[in-house]
Parts: sequence; C-alpha cells; structure tokens
Amino acid sequence: MTSIELKQVTVVFGRTLALDAIDLTIQPGIIGLFGQNGSGKSTLLRTIAGLIKPATGRVMVDGRAYARGDESLRGELGFAGHESGLYPRLTLQENLELFARLYGTPVERIDATLEELGLSAEGARQVGSLSAGTKRRAAVARALLHDPTVLLLDEPYANLDDEASEKVSASIQRWSRPHKTALIATHGAKKVKAYATAGIILQRGRVVTRGNYEPRFTP
Amino acid sequence: MSQIRQSFLTKTFALAAKDLRVEMRGRETLPPMVAFAIAVTLLLAFTIPASPTLRTPLTLPTGAVEAADVLAGFMWVTILFAGLIGFARTFEVERQDGALDAMLLVPLDRSGLFLAKAIANFLFVGAVELFVLPAFVILFSIDIGPGLLTLLLVVILTNIGFVSVGTLFAALAAQTRSRELVLPILALPALLPIFIASVTLTSDLLSGIPLNEVAARGWFVILIAYDVIFGTIAALAFEAALD
Repeated sequence: MTSIELKQVTVVFGRTLALDAIDLTIQPGIIGLFGQNGSGKSTLLRTIAGLIKPATGRVMVDGRAYARGDESLRGELGFAGHESGLYPRLTLQENLELFARLYGTPVERIDATLEELGLSAEGARQVGSLSAGTKRRAAVARALLHDPTVLLLDEPYANLDDEASEKVSASIQRWSRPHKTALIATHGAKKVKAYATAGIILQRGRVVTRGNYEPRFTP
Repeated sequence: MSQIRQSFLTKTFALAAKDLRVEMRGRETLPPMVAFAIAVTLLLAFTIPASPTLRTPLTLPTGAVEAADVLAGFMWVTILFAGLIGFARTFEVERQDGALDAMLLVPLDRSGLFLAKAIANFLFVGAVELFVLPAFVILFSIDIGPGLLTLLLVVILTNIGFVSVGTLFAALAAQTRSRELVLPILALPALLPIFIASVTLTSDLLSGIPLNEVAARGWFVILIAYDVIFGTIAALAFEAALD
C-alpha cells in the first residue's frame, strides 16, 4: 500500500505562497488533481517528487521521507512534468534505453511501453523533432517505463488529440494496481474522472475539496 | 516487474556516455572550446618568437624571464579558458526539455551525476589538450625529451582537479541567468592553486630541469592534494549545488 502523506507542507516562491500548510493523506488509487492556473497543482506534484523542498512540513511516501543515500524511494516514483524530461538530441528509443538502464528496467519493456502509447513508429526519431503531443506521450512513457508504485503526472493530456488521450488513459489504467498511487494534475477533468478513484481540488495553495468517486463523488 | 540491479558505476558511465553521444550529435561544446584554443595559440605564435632553447630569456617590461616560463603560463591559460567555455555548457543539455528534473529523480546518488558530468568534461578538456600540446610543441620548437611522460602526468593530475571544481561551479552557475559570466567569477579563485602548480611544473619540465629535482620541489604533492581535497568536496557539495 503506497500512500502519500503531507504534513503542514508550505512552499514559498519569493513572496508567493504556493502551498499553504497542506495536510493531506493520499491512499492508493488514481487521484485527479484539479484547480485553476496557479492553484498549486504542479508545485504539489514537484514537492511530492522531492524536486521542491518545502519551507515547512514534511512529505512521506510509503511512510518514508527522502534521505540522502536512500535512493530506493526515488526508484519507486514515476514523474512527468510540463516538459518531456527527455534529451532532444537522442532518439526516443535511446532516451528510454538510458532511463531503463538507470532504473534497472529490462530493455524489452521499452517496446511494450512504446506500443501501449502508440509510439512504436517514433522510436527512431530524435525527441527534438517530435510534435508537442508526441513528446507528451513520450514523457508518460518515460514515467511508466520502470513500473513505478507512485505515478505523478502533470497535465498528461496537454496537446493530445482524443485518440492519443485514450492511449494515455488506457496506459495509466493498465499500470494501476490496488497498492499503487497515481496523482494526475489536469485541466481536462472529464478525462481523468472517467477512471479516477478520487479527486482533490486545490485553490490558492490549499486543498478546498477532496473525496472519492466510488460509487460517486462524495466530498 | 523484475528489476535488474545496476551498479553505481554502470549508471554513472551510462550518463557520461549519454553526454558524449549528445555532444557528437549536437557539437555544441567541443567546437567553441577548440576554436578558442586555436585562436589563442595562433595569436601567441605570432607574438612570441620560437626560442633556440627554452632557457633563452625573453625581455618583458617587468624584466627578463625564461621562454619556458612564458610558454607554460600561456599554455595553461589557454587550457583554463577553453575549459571554462566548455564547463559553462555542462548543464545546458539537462536544461533543454526539463531533463534535469528527470535526472534528479533517478535512483542514483548525486555523486554519480557529478562523476558522470566530470568524466564528460575530462574528455572534452583532454580533446582540447590533444590539440594545444602538440601545437605548442610545433609552433614554439619545444623539445621536451625525457620529461614528456612526466608532463602527461602533470596534465592528467591538473585535469582531475580542474574538471572537479569546474563541474561543481558549473552546477552552481547553471542556476543563474548569467551562467557564462558567473562561472569564471566563482571558479577562477578556486582554480588558482592548481594552475600555479601546473604552470610551475610545466615550466620546470620545459626548462629541462632533472625529474628528481622537479619532484623534490613539492608541486606534485600540491597537485595530488588538490585533486583529493577538491574532488571530494566537489562530489559532496554537488547535491547542494543542484538544489
């Protein structure tokens, strides 16, 4: 059971309060993260990923905090931010081979991941030459490649047409297991609500609503 | 899904290989380094006369100095600034398309990221030296003779400290907008000791001073101590620099 726990997490950028003393426990499942621009969705994901250190409070993933020398926790995370996180000069295949080696993932899994996301034909192309929508799917492929137990996706449907969006949704659902946790930040609430188990709404750095979708959304 | 246990070094070398592959495709780091080294070396060839012997005094406004001292100084200054040009680009490849975030999340200690970057920088600086050293030998009629292997040792020891400090400060400078300006300001004071040692050793070797005398002067100890101390500090401080 991979839960995520935030205790009094505050993140400040200069004079801007990005996250305001957030207390949140996220149980396994697929959780949609909603809110207007600037509500703190991306900051929350980056803080959970350990890319941002909170000014106060702490983040625990699976009961553990990030610690120097303990790399195992990072290995359990799959993260795709606004950018692809891939090297434009390398082909998509080379990028995924690199990340497979870094995560200790069998390279045979690359073909399956590309296939799932409809990227098989793009493997030999340099990432810099891919369209914005293809890069988005490539970023999701990178995040899913090592079969993480915690998946953090920031706007995975940006620049995607309906067919590509369905492939992303199907990949996330195929990845999902009862012990895994996914947090998906998006403006396209409909796409995520179709398969999410719970939702969280952020406003100005605070959690204003949260609840389960099963059997129906109950704030 | 079964995971394959990869060692620290396997991951580190995979990252260093990635940097080399990206450079082979993009050619964004090495060409400006080499172009700078070529320009400076050629300019020097027109201003400093080739001496019949490297102990020939050259008359400068401040007095007479041996040609060996001047050439050693210029050679290392050329390598120093060519290196800084390359170091400033160390993290450019990671900044494009947010690759640094993805890299910070891989299950590898930050010292592995540091070592990978340092290996790539070591090879870039080495590639520049492959041009600079023969060019100085040919253009200034340098006959180093039996000191050649010792000079190569000086070059390798200098490079270790140089790329360690350069890579660390490149990580710090990468967080700023004016990284090309910030890097020399941060790195040059820290690099002075190792370049003083390498210039002095190179000058001694070019002058034909016997190797046992060169070794007895203690500059090798300074080079090695610098590599160990600053290499360790740089590897440990790298995580803080990235934050």
